Amino acid sequence: MGVTLAAGETLQLVNINPDTIIFTLINTLIIFLLYFFFLHKPVMKILDERKEKIANEMKAAEDAQAEAEATKAEYAAKLKESKEEAAQIVSAAVKRAGERENQILAEAQQEAAALKKKAEESIELEKKKAINEIKDQISDIVIMASEKVCEKEISKADNEALIDRFIAEVGKE
Amino acid sequence: MIDMAPVLMAEEKTFTVDGPLKSIVFELFGKEWVIAETVITQWIVMLVLAVLFFVLGRNLKLRPEGKRQVIAEWIVGFFTGYVDDSMGAKYRKRFAPYIGALFCFIILSCLMGLFGLKNPTSDVSVTASWAIITFVLVLYTKIKTGGVKGYLRSFIEPMPFMLPFNIIGDFANPIAQALRLFGNNVSGMVIGGLVYFALGSFAILVPAVLSLYFDLFSAVIQSYIFITLTMSYVAMADMSEE
Repeated sequence: MGVTLAAGETLQLVNINPDTIIFTLINTLIIFLLYFFFLHKPVMKILDERKEKIANEMKAAEDAQAEAEATKAEYAAKLKESKEEAAQIVSAAVKRAGERENQILAEAQQEAAALKKKAEESIELEKKKAINEIKDQISDIVIMASEKVCEKEISKADNEALIDRFIAEVGKE
Repeated sequence: MIDMAPVLMAEEKTFTVDGPLKSIVFELFGKEWVIAETVITQWIVMLVLAVLFFVLGRNLKLRPEGKRQVIAEWIVGFFTGYVDDSMGAKYRKRFAPYIGALFCFIILSCLMGLFGLKNPTSDVSVTASWAIITFVLVLYTKIKTGGVKGYLRSFIEPMPFMLPFNIIGDFANPIAQALRLFGNNVSGMVIGGLVYFALGSFAILVPAVLSLYFDLFSAVIQSYIFITLTMSYVAMADMSEE
């Protein structure tokens, strides 16, 4: 089959040439190998490596995040614990202070009571002492007055009996 | 009837579909071998592709530096993605390199037309070679997925009277594939050549525009169609049930 030209030649357009087929098959194989080894394989290798690297990095990031969350939870727990501890310490201190306060108050009251008692005792003593002194003075005065009034000596025994009666009477009043 | 011969002869040129390169004939193993012009053009394409693939594919980094690696990854990613989409991921490993290589081969062969060389895809022997590969791949896939028994049974399915049509179908697909690519490119070449020849010394702009259309636009589409057909024939041949 061909295109007939004016000069009587034919253009061999659709002629199958077995040699060309063989050479083309060989050339196609070579181009396939060139493409495969020079371009396809290195690119696929780098793409796989990149995929793997990204997967590893993502996994590492996820691990790091999980670790961070765990640490955060741990710290939160610790913080809570220390807060509780602090609250406990404060409450214990408050309690102890309260106890101490009560104790101090009690001691003070006790001391005050003791002082008061002592003071009262001392006052009583002084009172008695004063009364005795007054008794003595009064008896002396009475004796002197009696001596002056009576100008007459009476027996000391009579005198003292008289005085005691007088004092008793005075004491009753 | 007007005889065109004197007009054509007056130009002192004859219309030819041959390019500037001459075919080589030599003898080896007692046989006369013909290295056609299209085969020589293929070697030029191979040289260009070897340099291109080597430059693109070397010294790749995990973190891409420069456009070279981006282009390389885009090319490989395009073909693996295309094979994934039309054939399924299980074909990626074996088919993506072939589809990528074939596409690069076809498209650069067509681009040779832009440089005035004879486009290898305008030689039916060249496109027939690729159709033979498709035929073998289809046969291999059928036998591998269905076994010899399954392959033979596929001829009488869905009905026994479909036998002749199934046999024709197995051959018609690759033949049509080869002729489609060949026809598109040879028509472009013939039309371009005729226009160039007819315009004579006024051949400015018009042949360039035609060449851009046939050698670039049409070539890209036909290359794409060729690899798409290759993939769909093989995918259709897959008899494994999934």
